[in-house]
Amino acid sequence: MENSFFTYLELLELMIFFSGYTLIYFLIRVVAETGFVKRLFKTNISFLLPYAYALAGMLYLGLQLKTLFPDYSMQHIRLSMQVPLLKTWALLSILFIIPAFAKKPFFSLLHSLVFFFFLVRDLGLNIFKGSDGSVLKNDMNIYTYSLLINMAAFVFVLLVYNLFNKLRKNKAGQNG
Amino acid sequence: MLWLDDAQNLICVSKIVLHTIKIIYQTSFFMKHLNNKLQLLLVILISGFGYMVSCTHDDSFPPPPASTAVVVTHGTNVHLPGNMTAGNATEWKLDKAHSSVLWSTSYVAAAGLLTGRFNQFGMHDVTAAKMLNYVTTGQPLLDSSWAFYENEPAKTFFNGYVQINQSNTGEPGRDAGCNVSGLGTTAIVAGTQNLTVTNLAKIKTTEVKFDPLSADYIVTLTLNWQGKLTAPLTKTLTGRLKYIAKANVGGTYDVFGLQLKFQFNCRDYGITSTSIGDKIDIECNMNFNNK
Repeated sequence: MENSFFTYLELLELMIFFSGYTLIYFLIRVVAETGFVKRLFKTNISFLLPYAYALAGMLYLGLQLKTLFPDYSMQHIRLSMQVPLLKTWALLSILFIIPAFAKKPFFSLLHSLVFFFFLVRDLGLNIFKGSDGSVLKNDMNIYTYSLLINMAAFVFVLLVYNLFNKLRKNKAGQNG
Repeated sequence: MLWLDDAQNLICVSKIVLHTIKIIYQTSFFMKHLNNKLQLLLVILISGFGYMVSCTHDDSFPPPPASTAVVVTHGTNVHLPGNMTAGNATEWKLDKAHSSVLWSTSYVAAAGLLTGRFNQFGMHDVTAAKMLNYVTTGQPLLDSSWAFYENEPAKTFFNGYVQINQSNTGEPGRDAGCNVSGLGTTAIVAGTQNLTVTNLAKIKTTEVKFDPLSADYIVTLTLNWQGKLTAPLTKTLTGRLKYIAKANVGGTYDVFGLQLKFQFNCRDYGITSTSIGDKIDIECNMNFNNK
């Protein structure tokens, strides 16, 4: 990975979409296991986590398309990519929209750990090597936004799921 | 040797990839065997620690410094002489016995200060018609040509005068000798207050305003004096006025003070004496009471 400013910016972009998922994942898993939430939604809502993660991935893809607009040629894409491997890995998150991948929410966690790792790395560098504190401060700001994005994505998926559920029930009621 | 370098790089990258896979595998194994609450706690701890460490306030803007501007507050005292009626506490009287008009200049324009005072002075607007000899030992004219408004300097004004031959340096030989001729005046006549044109130096304010940097006032005034010239000369000068606020004395009466300082060039008035410097500093310390 090139140690350039643009690389750093792309890394921040990735972190803003994916690094917060780790915490949201565990939070939802714990909350979803509580009796109140189970009664409220009549199911363990943690199975929606990969879909929320895929939504975050789609938002990231949207940002990339917006950045590339209007030139979507391969040359332009290649030139504008500083961290192609990480970007590709990030875009793979969209695959979690496929039920076969979404079956195992744990994989979405593993996928997001790559981006959480950058936060831990900067934290470690700050503590053990006394690196520039502004990097970590920046990371934490980004992390906060990431938490908000991932939480918002999950809430959105949950709302859509509930809406579809109700529509399905209504339809079943009409048919029955 | 290039192919050898490439091979070494490839081995190095492979090692890194293998190591990463190993870490992910171990992490997933470790995480699978921890319950969600513990994992949540762990991630919260890491995140919380990150927030704590990053919260250095290094980039925070410090609070603005206290203003360096001088904060000046002026009271609302108004002092007017009125008719200077004794016993009228609203009318302020010049306490001449406890006031002074002092002068100083550098001796021979090179050494320390040569100082003196005027024994006779007053605060009256001495018009041409009043420039006379007054046979009295007291004040020849009422010291009522002034007004002081602490918070409205535009309304403040004062007039003052000194009798030149009453300059007192503590050396009678000089005061009654070379001073008289050197300043173009006449000798003192006992029991007479000489307010004639050759013996009179007058000041009159034309503008009084707040000093933005202190509680004082900046005064623009004119100094009218004949000196060794053939006719009186009026020069505009700038001075500083300090107000010493009203205070009560023993519960019986009030006092306040005005201190005016200004400087003028005595050569403008034809004074050629080399015993004194060009610049003469004047300090007027006027005390008032309402007895």
